[in-house]
Amino acid sequence: MAEKITAYRFDQLDQTLSQLNKENCAIIAGGTDVMVMYKSRRGVPPKIPKPIVFIDHLSELKRVYQKHKDLYIGACSTYSELLENPLIPGPLKKAIKTIAAPAIRNRGTLGGNVCNASPAGDTLPLLYVYNAKLLLRSVNGERIVAISDFIQGVRRIQRERNEIVAEIILPSVMEEGAHVVFEKVGNRNADAIAKVGFAGYIRLNGAVIEDARFAFGAVGPTMVRSVDIEKGLFGKTIPLADTDIAQVVGAFDKIIKPIDDQRSTAIYRKTVALNLLRYFLSMNQYQHNQ
Amino acid sequence: MITFTLNGRKVETDAPPTARLLDVIRDDYELIGTKEGCGEGECGACSVFVNNLLQNSCLIPIGSIEGAEIITIEGIMESEQFKILDESYSHAGGVQCGYCIPGMVMASAALLSQNPHPSEAEIREGISGNLCRCTGYNMIVDAVSLAAKKGDGLWQKK
Repeated sequence: MAEKITAYRFDQLDQTLSQLNKENCAIIAGGTDVMVMYKSRRGVPPKIPKPIVFIDHLSELKRVYQKHKDLYIGACSTYSELLENPLIPGPLKKAIKTIAAPAIRNRGTLGGNVCNASPAGDTLPLLYVYNAKLLLRSVNGERIVAISDFIQGVRRIQRERNEIVAEIILPSVMEEGAHVVFEKVGNRNADAIAKVGFAGYIRLNGAVIEDARFAFGAVGPTMVRSVDIEKGLFGKTIPLADTDIAQVVGAFDKIIKPIDDQRSTAIYRKTVALNLLRYFLSMNQYQHNQ
Repeated sequence: MITFTLNGRKVETDAPPTARLLDVIRDDYELIGTKEGCGEGECGACSVFVNNLLQNSCLIPIGSIEGAEIITIEGIMESEQFKILDESYSHAGGVQCGYCIPGMVMASAALLSQNPHPSEAEIREGISGNLCRCTGYNMIVDAVSLAAKKGDGLWQKK
């Protein structure tokens, strides 16, 4: 009657990768999304339609280190582990503190948040403005892919069956002069799924904008970002003129197309997203919070 | 077979690997202090310690905890710290229907063991993953604050 569930929990990443090469498996890191997605009745184990591979215990996937100006974060680092790590930049820590609550932060992983590819994934706006890359490993070696290419749609990612997201790379995150802001709007401070998420990144040389990046979460199938709009701000000085701000907000107004769902309405999401952007652009000085 | 430590005792279970830790501790070991509220990690009623870290047992597949040390509310009931929390919750009127309390007490103990002198904001953050539909939280915050004072010196040592 009860079907047998196959699950693997290897001591080494190598063994895990060779199993993935043999068999199409469901990968479970913290499990905080998977266990809810496949939740059944009380007392009945979640029915996951594939053999399972547990990876959250693999120390090879928990390392955090700096190489040149880039930061490498092991995909199975839990949020709590990242909060305690001195290498993690302030804005990322601030964002992590808005995720869930202590009990889930002790279990949920950064790699899990990426691979779950929820439109409302909490860390995603920030990872997009950091130009995060993912290091994937398989028996064939490794490859690196930009997060904006990796996440292709709602819960759709560009991961081959035999691959694991091993590390999240934040390029040049230790660079001087970058200012990063993260905002999340939800029903409750803790454990809320975002109605709107926003991350803004600005790098100044004196008062001149050298680089600007914006990403919006929960207002489309994936994060909304536009390199074209961002480029329009390069070379301008802060404080920005009202016309410049209006132009950027107007441009995003055209490409942000949220939906109504059980958590919020399209009109609310759009209004809040543009307000957060306007607020970020209107700052006279940016907190240096690296 | 999955082997782990439950309240200090080595145990073995043949539950399917995706079985929730919550169901295993309640149904197989009859430790029913741990409650199921939402079943989605939003209410904290099922909070337990996994290797001394507060976690939601409704989100934990049993197959992932091989070798781990699990402590439920029953596992801390004999401790000095629990007695202080018990008194403080009673004194502050922090318990009404009581359903959320095992989870609240676990979250309180986790907070105080990391931060023995929390501010009000830190207490609210510490129990932010636990829902209570009766008290409006203020009495629970008072209880934790009282426990911090009454148990001064007790929380650091593990």
